[in-house]
Order: sequence, then C-alpha cells, then structure tokens
Amino acid sequence: MDSSMLLAGILNVLTWWNLLLIIGGTLLGMFVGAMPGLSATMALALLLPITFSMDPGAGLSMLASLYVGASYGGSIAAILLNTPGTPAAAATVLDGYPLSQQGKAGKALGISLFASFCGGLMSGIALLVAAPLLGILVLKFGPIELFAVAVLGITIIGSLSQGSVVSGLLSGGIGLLVSTVGMDLITGTPRMTFGHMNLFSGISFTVALIGLFSIPQALLLIEKSGLSAKRVANKITDRLLPKLKDIKILMPNIFRSGVIGIITGLIPGTGGDTASWFAYNEAKRFSKDKSRFGKGDVAGLAAPEAANNSVVGGSLIPTIALGIPGSSSTAILLGALMVHGILPGPNLLTEHGEVTYTLIWAVIVANFALLAVGLMFTRLCVSVTKVPDGFVACAIIVLCVVGSFAINNSFFDVGLMFAFGLFGYWMIKAGMSPAPMVVGLILGPVMETSFQQSMLIGGGTFMVFVKSPIALCLLLLAAFSVIQSTPLLGAVASKFKKPA
Amino acid sequence: MKKLLLPASLSLFALTAAIPLSASAEYSVTDELRVLQGFQAGGGSDALAQITQPFLRDILGVNFVNEYIPGAAGAIAWTRLGNQSPKDGSVISITNTPMLMTNYIINESINYNIDQLTPIANVVTDPGVIVVHPDSPYQTIEELLQAAEENPGRITIGNSGVGGDDYFSTIMVENATGLKFEKVPFAGDGPSATAAMGGQIDASFNNVGIVYGHITADSLRPLAVFSEERLPMLPDTPTLKEIGYDVVNGSSRGYSAPAGIPDQARDELIAAFEELATNEEFLALAEERAFYIDIITGDDYMDMMKRMEETFIEIWANVEDDA
Repeated sequence: MDSSMLLAGILNVLTWWNLLLIIGGTLLGMFVGAMPGLSATMALALLLPITFSMDPGAGLSMLASLYVGASYGGSIAAILLNTPGTPAAAATVLDGYPLSQQGKAGKALGISLFASFCGGLMSGIALLVAAPLLGILVLKFGPIELFAVAVLGITIIGSLSQGSVVSGLLSGGIGLLVSTVGMDLITGTPRMTFGHMNLFSGISFTVALIGLFSIPQALLLIEKSGLSAKRVANKITDRLLPKLKDIKILMPNIFRSGVIGIITGLIPGTGGDTASWFAYNEAKRFSKDKSRFGKGDVAGLAAPEAANNSVVGGSLIPTIALGIPGSSSTAILLGALMVHGILPGPNLLTEHGEVTYTLIWAVIVANFALLAVGLMFTRLCVSVTKVPDGFVACAIIVLCVVGSFAINNSFFDVGLMFAFGLFGYWMIKAGMSPAPMVVGLILGPVMETSFQQSMLIGGGTFMVFVKSPIALCLLLLAAFSVIQSTPLLGAVASKFKKPA
Repeated sequence: MKKLLLPASLSLFALTAAIPLSASAEYSVTDELRVLQGFQAGGGSDALAQITQPFLRDILGVNFVNEYIPGAAGAIAWTRLGNQSPKDGSVISITNTPMLMTNYIINESINYNIDQLTPIANVVTDPGVIVVHPDSPYQTIEELLQAAEENPGRITIGNSGVGGDDYFSTIMVENATGLKFEKVPFAGDGPSATAAMGGQIDASFNNVGIVYGHITADSLRPLAVFSEERLPMLPDTPTLKEIGYDVVNGSSRGYSAPAGIPDQARDELIAAFEELATNEEFLALAEERAFYIDIITGDDYMDMMKRMEETFIEIWANVEDDA
C-alpha cells in the first residue's frame, strides 16, 4: 500500500500542470527571497491564499517549491548586496559578499546554488525515507510525548532570540499568553475572549504570523525608502556554473551541513537561520585554514546554504507526523494542510497518503527545478533587488490583507492581523524579535492541552512523564538546553578547564 | 475551486450557470441559495454539501453558493444565520446536531438558539461507537464496563472535545450505568481515535464514519454502537440498547433556515429534501461515500432538535452541579 502511494505521489507531481506550478513556485520564491527583508515564511504566508482554490496536491507542491526557491533566493541579495534577503541567509553574507567584491559573484552564486540543491535534495530524500516510519512513530507519540516535544521546542526560544535572551524570553512569553485565548479544551470555558465569539476558537497562528512577520517589514521598508541610500549591487561578471574541482572539495562540507540542517529542522521552533549559523560554525571548526573565513572562503558560503535548504525537509517531518511545525515556514504549510481539510497525524500517511507523498516528491522535484531555474534566472534576480522599497511595501500590505481574510473569510481576522502587525513593529523598534512569540503561539496550545491530557491519563501524577522513555529523553534534552544557556554551565566548564 | 474567495466573480459564474437544468420544481424565492458553513472547506460538513447540493440544484433549479465562516465550533455561522440573515429563504446553513445546541447550552456568551431557526431537514447521522486498541484486554463492552466498576474513574475514555456528541455520550453512559470514567478530551474525533490506536487511552467514544476505515484495517476494534439497531456495516457489534442501557447518540448534519421565512419557501425546501430521500442515484452515492442517510424533515427535525436540547440541558446542569 505504501509503495502504491509512493508511486501515486510521484505521478501526481509529474503532471504538466504541477510541474509548471513547481517551476513557477521556485521562480517566485527566488524573486521574493532575493528581495531584502522578505523571508521564506513571508513568501509562503502571502501566497497561501492563492493555493486555496487549487486541489491539495497542486497547492502544496507550489508552496513547497516556493519555500525551496526562497531559501536559495535569500543568498542572492546576501552575496551581491551585503544584505541577507532572508534571515536564513545572514551567515551567507560573511563569505559571500567578499567573494562578489573580488569579482567572483558568479562563482559565489553558483556554489550557493549547488550547495542549496544538494542540501535540499538530501533533506527531500531523508523525508521520503522517514515517511513510512513516521506512521509507526506517530502512534508512539501520545499526549505525554507531545508535551515533552513542546517543552523542548519552548526551550529553544532563548537561542532563537537575536541579541538579548531576556527580550527573547519576553517575546516567547507573550506568545504563550496570547495562545491561551479561546476555549479551554478540557473544560470548554472561553478564556480571555471578552465574550467575543470570533475569539472562541483562539487566535489563528497563520493570521498572527502574517501580521508579525510581514507588516513590520513593510513599515520598515517605507521608513527606509525616503532616505534612499542607494544600494549598489555587485555585477555578475564570471560564469555561474561551478567547477567540478571546487565541488569535489566542498562535498564533505555540504554533506555535513545538510545533516545539520535536517536535524535542526526536526526540532520544533528552529529554522533556517539557526541551522545556517550552526553549519557555518562547524565548517569553520573543521577547516584547516580558519583565517580565510569571512574573507571569501567558499566553504563558509556552501555550509550555510546547504544547511538552510536542508531545513526544508527536516522541518516537514514533525509537521507531517505530529502536527508540530519544525519552523515558522512549515507552520504556514501546516495551515495550508488544514485549510485543505487535511489533519496531520497518522491519517496523513494512510487516508491522505497520496497528498503527503505528492508534497514530499514536490520537495525533491523542486530542488531539481531550483538548479535549472537558478542557473537560468539568477542574473534576472539582480533586477528584483532594484525594485523600489515603497512598491514592495505596498504589495506586501495588500497581500497581507487578502491572505488574512482568506483563511477564515473573516474581516475580524484582518483587524487582528493589523493589530499583530503594529505590535510586531513596536517589538522590532524595542529590540525584540517576533520569532519567539510565534513559537510560543504555536507550541502553547500543544503544550497546555497535552499536559492536561497527560494529567487525566496518568491520574494526576507527574510520574507519567518519567514512565515514558521518549518523554523522559526529550525532557532531559530540554533541561540540558536550558542549563547550557545559563552561566551555570560556563562556570562548571571553566572549573574543569582551568587545571588542564 | 471549493473556497469562496471572490464573491463577485463567483456570483458571475453562478449567474451563467444558473440557467435551470430541470424544470421540475422551481424555487420561488431566488435562483441563488447561499449556504453558510460553520466549518472549514474540506471538512465533514463540506463533504455533505458536496454530495447533496448537486442533486438539490437539479431539484430546486437554484445554484448553491457556499460561504465558509469557520470558528467557535460553528457558532459564528449559526449566530449569523439566526440573528443577521435575511428571513426570505435565500440563506440557509448546514446545522450539526448536537453541536448546534450544546454550543449555547455550555456557553452563555453564544446568543442564538434553535427557536431562531426553521429546521428544514436532517440528512445524515453518524452513529456513535466505542472503539479500543486491537490488543486491548477488553473484548466486549461488558468487560470494559466491568473494568470501570473495579477501577472507578481510572478507565480513560477519549472524546472529541467538551460539548461534542462523544463527550455527552460518555456522560449518558455514566448516567445509565452509574459508573465513572476519566474523560479525556481531544481536539476532534481524529486525534481521539489516534490516541486509542496508540494505546494511550483505554477506549475512544467516536463516530462510525470517522473510524470505519481503521476498523476495517484492524487498527481499532469496535465494542458497541450508540444506534437504535445494529448497523449494516458493523453487523457483529452490539448496540448499547441490547445490553440494557438506553443510550442512543450520534452526530447528525442537516440544513436549517432562519426563523420566519415564508411558508412557501419552507415547503419548497422541505419538498426538495423529501425528493432527495427517494433519489436512487443520491442514495447510491451516499452509500459509496459511507454516509449514513437519515432524512428527517420539517417539524420532525424540529422535534429532534427540541428533544436533544432538553436532554443536553439536563445533562449539562448535572455536570455543572458536580463541578
């Protein structure tokens, strides 16, 4: 039965219409990713409503390819403009921009494209291999284990926040607080709804996500557009196709970074940005000549690019299996699944197996499309970076309104989206990142209901968490991740190091 | 295709397609009937709409325009139906019972009730069922009840959420048997069934339409059904009535209009559903999609709602007293 769905999935992807959507999605993703400030998440959130009218397979194929395209597109602006197109491409700037200054923009983009392709393909294959196992795994994840997953996800908040940990925790806390709006699953009592019926089913995280990520960015773009310190993009003068010799040397590095990306993607709440820094650091550590990093080392370029694309497949694994998105981008994909009436969980691999395998194959095919589209259109993307900020900002706001309305056909949601947008703008001005807030918003309900269910199942004792080996491991991991980010561990470690 | 994004373009489409395909019985009010749906496109209510409305379109000679307004377990759509919709028969809604009543019974801030509606017809009923893990020690419903008697309040029973039909079924069984279960709510029938498949709960009170696939795949085992008689698709599963407990419950879906629509409109709509009940092609399609057709029209549908309302008000009052 599994293999027939596997086949049905690939046949679904390989229809002309779907291939066209995948190529279109990749191209669109590349363009959006190339625009400084527009992240892959935003691209997905804004284009989600377009897929509502498609059948689930086609819609998800397009979104998946958009995600893949945007993950690469971010590096174009990073390399040519010294501005990461997406947060996930921030690490790419370090070695990518120096390369383009040395007149090797083509080489840099070629390697970035190739590394993205390899990373993406690896994660697609990992997803394909993991999928049949997920059906079994998912049954082992009851409320008790889900609670542990959610706790682990929450502890990542500290590391997600760029800059101050305290403001990151504050942002995450606000997210958790907002997530309590709506009916309490266990008692059926509405909480913090102020008697307003539109709030009874809680705040849709897709609406919050669109507001928090997109509106502040649009406002910041408008702010900048008047000042107009013209960005000058470096020209691509050399050839894009990377040399075989370069690739050979980079392969171990790309492979390692790809694995890092997949694993980072698995952990709820972490995405491309975490993975790319992680991979960059590892590449530096393994390198023989560390001094060249930051001055245009191709290894420092390939690592983050392979990692941020391999996050795509990795983060889809918990999304499909448990309904817990591995990153904010897959949170949007999860929203798309639910809009099409498909609930994550074991049904996704049996009843809806065809759609799921279509999505998985689409990720793989999209990476090939990326390689082709990237080679042909990267030069064109340079002009995208020249679109005036004002235009981009207006387009974003229009798409935000359409997107937030289309999710539930509700104007209330449009207002809610703007409220989140303004709050997000204020947060950025106050030096707080909205990303942890979204993590809190997504994981809050999972954590709360699974905790309450665990208590009911376990007869009210905390021992249920200790009795489940999976939950125990995850909770210990979570405890470790908290301890390692506190000064406590540093103090202990330095005590051990001193005598040596 | 399914989602209504641009009403303007869609109604344009509707106009071109509204040229009556059958002249049997013209609907006197409008040639475009709006259907408010309280749940997402692609869900169970939408599935009902997709199979019934093509037939109703031919019978009534109208086009159906589905408007999806999900949220608050359907209450947003039903409040709009009862309080803010034109009472001329141009707007109807898919009404899910008992959710339609339990919404406002358990939640004071929801301000519609069935007196504000004109029930047209119930179409399908998905009977309740008790399912367990295939390796569960409980081979029969009696064994499950026996276990609950020996461990009061320690047998965990999953349901689709507080206020849903399965939640009330559990209480109805508790009241009928005098036993106590640990009721574990999940976010819908699907997650509740999954928890039973994973062995995290002792049993799940669910609906046949949801778990039938898992029963045939041997990943869940049925112990009893909450219907009046044994079901044709589960001939070996006893009803609770057979073992002496008068508990009949399920989740039903039908159509209702706002109260006070013209009598002529009401009669025409009811007649359409009565015709639907005899349409061989429709019944065959419903059977193929595993819909349990249960067409109850007009006053009988209102009586069904009234009876349910009464039962659930009483049950909920007792729950609140216990709390």
